[in-house]
Amino acid sequence: MTGLIDRDELLAALDRAAASRVTVISAPAGSGKSCLLRAWAARSSESNRLAVVQVNRDEQDAQAFWLAVLGAVRRASGASGRVEAPVATPDVNARAVADRVLAELTDAGGDLTVVVDDVHELKAPEALVQLAGLLNGLPPGVHAILATRRDLRLDLHRLRLAGELTELRAADLRFSQRETRRLLAAAGVRLSDAGRAVLQQRTEGWAAGLRLAVLSLAGHPDPERFVAEFSGTDRTVAEYLLGEMLERQPDDVRQLLLRTSLLDRVNGELADLLTGRSGSERILLGLEDANAFVVSLDPERTWFRYHHLFADLLRLELRRTCPEEVPGLHRRAAEWLLRHGDVVDAIRHTQAAGDWFAAARRLADYSFSLTLDGQAQTIEALLRAFPPGADADSSELAIAHATTEVAQGRLDQSAAHLAVAEAHIETTRPERRRRLQVAIASLKLSLARRRGSLAGVLEQAEFLASPMSGQSDEEIVLDGDLRAVALMNLGIVEAWALASPDAERHLLEGAALARENGRPYLEVACLAQAAFASKIRPLGATRRRCREAIALAERHGWDADPIIAPALIILAATMAWRGDFEGADRCLRRTERALRTDTGPGIRLLLHVGAGMLHAGRGRLLEALVEFDAAEALRSRLEGSHALANQVTGWRLATQARLARTGEARAALASLDPDRASAGEIRNAYAVISLADGDPAAALDAVRDVVEGRAPVIGYFTLVEAHLVAGLAHRDLGDARAATQAVEAALSLAEPDGVVLPFAMTGARELLEMLPRHETAHAALLGDILDVLRGSSAPAEDDVLAVAEELSPTELRVLRFLPTNLSRPEIAGELSVSVNTVNTHIRNIYAKLQARDRSSAVQRARALRLLGAGRTPGVKVTRSW
Amino acid sequence: MCGRLTVHDPGAMEQGPAFYAIRINGHLGAMVLCAFPEMTSQRRGAHTLLTGLLDRSALYGVLAEIEALGLDLVEVRQLESHRGCPGKSPT
Repeated sequence: MTGLIDRDELLAALDRAAASRVTVISAPAGSGKSCLLRAWAARSSESNRLAVVQVNRDEQDAQAFWLAVLGAVRRASGASGRVEAPVATPDVNARAVADRVLAELTDAGGDLTVVVDDVHELKAPEALVQLAGLLNGLPPGVHAILATRRDLRLDLHRLRLAGELTELRAADLRFSQRETRRLLAAAGVRLSDAGRAVLQQRTEGWAAGLRLAVLSLAGHPDPERFVAEFSGTDRTVAEYLLGEMLERQPDDVRQLLLRTSLLDRVNGELADLLTGRSGSERILLGLEDANAFVVSLDPERTWFRYHHLFADLLRLELRRTCPEEVPGLHRRAAEWLLRHGDVVDAIRHTQAAGDWFAAARRLADYSFSLTLDGQAQTIEALLRAFPPGADADSSELAIAHATTEVAQGRLDQSAAHLAVAEAHIETTRPERRRRLQVAIASLKLSLARRRGSLAGVLEQAEFLASPMSGQSDEEIVLDGDLRAVALMNLGIVEAWALASPDAERHLLEGAALARENGRPYLEVACLAQAAFASKIRPLGATRRRCREAIALAERHGWDADPIIAPALIILAATMAWRGDFEGADRCLRRTERALRTDTGPGIRLLLHVGAGMLHAGRGRLLEALVEFDAAEALRSRLEGSHALANQVTGWRLATQARLARTGEARAALASLDPDRASAGEIRNAYAVISLADGDPAAALDAVRDVVEGRAPVIGYFTLVEAHLVAGLAHRDLGDARAATQAVEAALSLAEPDGVVLPFAMTGARELLEMLPRHETAHAALLGDILDVLRGSSAPAEDDVLAVAEELSPTELRVLRFLPTNLSRPEIAGELSVSVNTVNTHIRNIYAKLQARDRSSAVQRARALRLLGAGRTPGVKVTRSW
Repeated sequence: MCGRLTVHDPGAMEQGPAFYAIRINGHLGAMVLCAFPEMTSQRRGAHTLLTGLLDRSALYGVLAEIEALGLDLVEVRQLESHRGCPGKSPT
């Protein structure tokens, strides 16, 4: 490539610098930082793995930055085959992603260098603080190289003192006389020693200047005259040389360069559109081959970007020569980008065209799907770019404002903006109204969920779940997103506030829709909630659902996110029900980690209930009471009802009674409203209190409606419990035969799911030991229960959190071809490897997937979700070089 | 004619605008001057002198532009006597 030579001395200097923990290359635009890094990376030995990140222009989204770093680190460490590419999510914060980067670097085991170019473009203050934190705490064997136009305000003081920080500055990057000679020679430019010296002096060894000069000098009829004229003018170097270079280009190339300079990245189709000609792709490929300022972004060479300084100069020249065309170019680019799903850039170009009203409308239309893409910070940045008091209708922006406020937990501000948006909706055209209505409704639901008042918005959610009729593909996708979110919200309301049987169906529909739409975060959220909605029965199916949700979350790195908490708690509960207290304990501890960043009262309540069950099962009544007390306190703070409210109250009262605090328990019972007092869980508690007070007859009275199926109950566990309490009452009354019958009834109910916990919680050990083995039809279950009651936790069925044997990254690449009709030699051709290699991979794939042939392997891979490439993440792919 | 998209930052400290003189090494041509529509330029020997009435954020916008274009900044000076007096031309 013209203008690029191996700068051996500089590379050696970087090699030396890179031996220290952190290297900062700080030099002005056009000093050759990126070229140096690219050359260094290309030469870097295989043992030193590189994670290369280029910061997007004016990056204000900390999460997007850290996701780019995480993706690069995973690719470098070879972890990318094991997990899905990281995508932005609505809830995950940048801090969590930054922590994950550190964790992956620690796991990588050394010999890894993180390279971050254009750090000066990083405008999110929190990201800079987190970056400094990462650099100060790099794991052993991990190095970092940063390139920036200006000195960074990163606190690297300690590294500097420890001699762990090396800097390369502008003077180090300047071309030496020898390098200038080699650069000219490499481009085939013949220049006298004197001419070369003049060029060197005039450019002061500035890389961009020399490279621009070479573009004009290559093939110039009279290089000496060119240099003489250059030295004779006192125009600034870059402007003079860019002008010369442009003048020497054919018209189609010049037009392409000028008109596409407005774009952050360009491909052939987009360039054709902006130039009004065809053949742009060929020109772009030619430019990359000949020009150090044009680089392709993908291995297929379809997307290109210009060096920033180069693009900035071209943009100025476009504004100078054809200012009247600039808004139209932005407009056309915006239309194309919108059609191709790049909404954020489309809105930016709409703003740049000065079409404030259209920009506001687009932001309103897409703020909902951008939120799903995890781009709340980007929405904020777009909002800031609107001029105050411009003709943008502020009511159009209300939805976007409401979205960013709710994302930051400012609920009242968000509600105020929502009110503006709602008032405005009547005036919008019908074809947009539906979309905005649904966005507003979803925001209201989200607000209500955060406030813990679910039942009040149910009507809203029902309206959301009705089918929608989108016309264009893009509308159908958006409708699909809205429907999935609506189904999720509806299902959550139904499950948590109403304990409605529809909840599970709605959540599973939502999960299926989210999967179709390529929204894994939404899918995980729906599946995790569906685990809660399934109300545990049958235990095996619920356990499978929890594991499915957890496995999907793990593949995406969300296994410590709040969204997965419901599935973790329910999994813990299924273990506790079966008597696997150790497994339940592990699972609950994991949930606590996942809930560190979420303070929603509903889910915390569930966590306390789970912990209380565990303690009660192990006979630790005092600890259990602390948890049930905490759950009860949260329940009373909820604005609406909670699906487990009666369970919480019932268990709390029963535990008080077992601790001989029946006075307290009776007082609490007396204050309950009559509706609740007739529920099975509360009746059971009343029976336990009566037993503790030595009144077994009252206990039998209390549970009669429960065991006879007349009292409303949350699940059949309540019935098991009622039978056992009845058994204890019969025993106290001296009726051994009735006691045996009651225990037998409890065992029959517990048998299908192998439920153990109620036997432990009710203190039924003595009853069970009384029961002669030959008199029960459930001897095996009886044996298991007695084992648990005598102190051995039930064996775990299998390790819940274990994952199947992993396919290597290469095996995954081969696997993706199996559903196609390509033959093995053709696959080998696609991957540029030998047929033997492909055969070996396929053998391994079959073995790991336990498949006999191609179709069963494909089937198995589909089931394991190894094939779904998913949609392209909404964030721009930050690929480097 | 070289209109640019200015990003308004309502959070920026609002100080009264002042006249600034910014000296850059070399002669800026029409292309690069498009980056500074709010400034007038004069040649001063081998330098270019850009002058204009700028508030704080506009000043930093101009300096960022100078950095982005790789220009050789020599001097930035606030012309005290003309502070806050639009309409009078600086000398």
